[in-house]
Amino acid sequence: MRGNEATRQQRTGLALVSPALGVVALFFILPMLMSVVLAFRGKNGGLTFEHMAKALDLYQNDLLFTVAITVLSTVGIAICAILIASYLTLGGSERTRTALRWLYRWPLFIPFIVTGQVMRTFLAKNGLLNHVLIGGGLIDPGSAQSLLDWRGIVIALVWKQVPFVTLLLAGAMASVDSQHIEAARNLGARRWQVLVDIVLPQVRGTLLVGLVLSFVTMLSVLSVPMMINPNSPTLITVDIAYRINTHGDYAVANALCLLSLLLAAGGAALYLRHAVAKAVPAA
Amino acid sequence: MNRFKLFPALAMAALAALPYGHAQAQTTLNVATAGDQNMVDYVNNYLAPRFEKMNPGVKVRAVGTGPGDAGSQKIYEKLSAQQKAGTTAWDIDVAVIHQRGAATMVGEKLLMPYRSQVNVDKLVTRDTATNALGANVDGYVLPMFHSQIAFAYNPEVVKAPPKSFAELAEWVKKNPKQFGYNGVKGGMSGVGFVMGWVSANAGIGEKLEKGPYDPGQKAAIEKSLGSLKEFNQYVVMTPGNAGTLDMLNRGEIAMGPVWVDMFYTWQADGKLNPKVKLSLPSPGLPGQPMYYVIPAKAANAQLAKKFVELAESPEVQAEGIVKQFNWYPGIDPQHVQSKLDAASWNKLFTDISPSDLARYGRPFPLSEYFTDIVEGYERVVLK
Repeated sequence: MRGNEATRQQRTGLALVSPALGVVALFFILPMLMSVVLAFRGKNGGLTFEHMAKALDLYQNDLLFTVAITVLSTVGIAICAILIASYLTLGGSERTRTALRWLYRWPLFIPFIVTGQVMRTFLAKNGLLNHVLIGGGLIDPGSAQSLLDWRGIVIALVWKQVPFVTLLLAGAMASVDSQHIEAARNLGARRWQVLVDIVLPQVRGTLLVGLVLSFVTMLSVLSVPMMINPNSPTLITVDIAYRINTHGDYAVANALCLLSLLLAAGGAALYLRHAVAKAVPAA
Repeated sequence: MNRFKLFPALAMAALAALPYGHAQAQTTLNVATAGDQNMVDYVNNYLAPRFEKMNPGVKVRAVGTGPGDAGSQKIYEKLSAQQKAGTTAWDIDVAVIHQRGAATMVGEKLLMPYRSQVNVDKLVTRDTATNALGANVDGYVLPMFHSQIAFAYNPEVVKAPPKSFAELAEWVKKNPKQFGYNGVKGGMSGVGFVMGWVSANAGIGEKLEKGPYDPGQKAAIEKSLGSLKEFNQYVVMTPGNAGTLDMLNRGEIAMGPVWVDMFYTWQADGKLNPKVKLSLPSPGLPGQPMYYVIPAKAANAQLAKKFVELAESPEVQAEGIVKQFNWYPGIDPQHVQSKLDAASWNKLFTDISPSDLARYGRPFPLSEYFTDIVEGYERVVLK
């Protein structure tokens, strides 16, 4: 009897999730598989590694560049997010905290393409940033240089993604038991010691999830590198768009997609490991 | 108060609109255009109102499919899908496409050979109307306009612009980081510059334009790209066609390749320093037409032909193409000049004389060479 009941429940469960599963299979897994297949299909329909070889031949620099830029940006995001979130949790001045809380979320509501467009005039050689620096006497006009290269891409990506990670992180920090913080303070710990030894270890998981999600998002951003520096080296997304738009070459584009998928899979593996580790004790 | 005022106005507008909706069956002429937003603006703001006035009950709807060859590619993909699906009435009536797109579409029988069926046939003389990057498109296309890439330079910094690519190579060494272009991934003005460089330095300029295609030329192409790699050390890479103009305007570079029509439009809009001038170096930079084509099974083919007849008429070519949008005419200039005031005509030829344009305005290389050059650029210059 009980066994029957369990199977029935299982079946109902399956029936309930099947539409969602169907959508995932049809619109996510199937196109992805097709992309993988097309990356290895030759003109005559047979298996070929020609497209992959061409992708690696022409774009290996851009692949490495993509990895370097996204890793660097992730590190930058981590540092900025920790600084902002910890000030929001542990900071002294109430007024500064309110102002910061109000300000830091803005980029969340600004699309990537707008970020790229804004940065394009902000970071140019004779752009707003250098005008301010020169006007303020901080640099002389001769040494002003354009930041519209890899630096511009990193600045734009960090600027755009910091609020997202900060949002998660500040929430997690706020839920850290305040007794831990107070106890450490009572025992004479400085504020940064409280942060490094007490708070950060407890929110490590949330920080990791936020960073992995940012990493994967940044891998897929086309507009920012397109607006700031579409020339070599550039992010792999620009190359994918270029193969399709200029050459109508879906095969090499698919090979590049597959490579970028492998990069994202690294992030996904980290995420899953953490998510599963969290889910198992709860179950 | 405002609300009460508004209401009768709305009601009037609704009433005024009603009779048309009922009395005449609306036909929609779908015009798909590749290229920048200015192309869509041209069709919507300039051509459509004129055509609708001449043909009551017809509504022109223009859609832009995006800049560069990518825009033509989207039109190709749509027509090709309708062809494969066996659809009898295709939903694009007139398309405006690039040369590469036209070559592909003629090859795959997606277009209608309509040229002999329109009355403006005889007004078109340039060889681009029959030959698109080596492909025979005779009968299938009529050029909407010609556009040309040229060097824009700031005469306050550049007293005498380089007259040839060899002079340019010398010039950038003396003036490092003063020349900027946008590579091959950031728009056609950069691509055109690379094509011009290869034509000038590979010693096979004629062959690149006239064919026949010979894969054996890759070595010569890659050798000339090797010298471009060295050249690149002295120049700035700009973010796109507009990026080059932006940097010129901000004084960050003193010279760079730009589209002539964009150049004039930006100057007219006050977005570009009015002192910046144009020059066309020897042995030349490429230019290209955009073509009016009619898909093989366009639903409204008859109307589409009338539309092209209007668009290619000397009046429209003079007033719309040359005067308002700063393009070189698609039909023979002699039919256009008489319809224009001298000032508008001269403006187009202030910096680049008609004879320079005839001598140094070159077509893009054949499709196959084009691919060899841009891929060679990725392999030799970027890696």
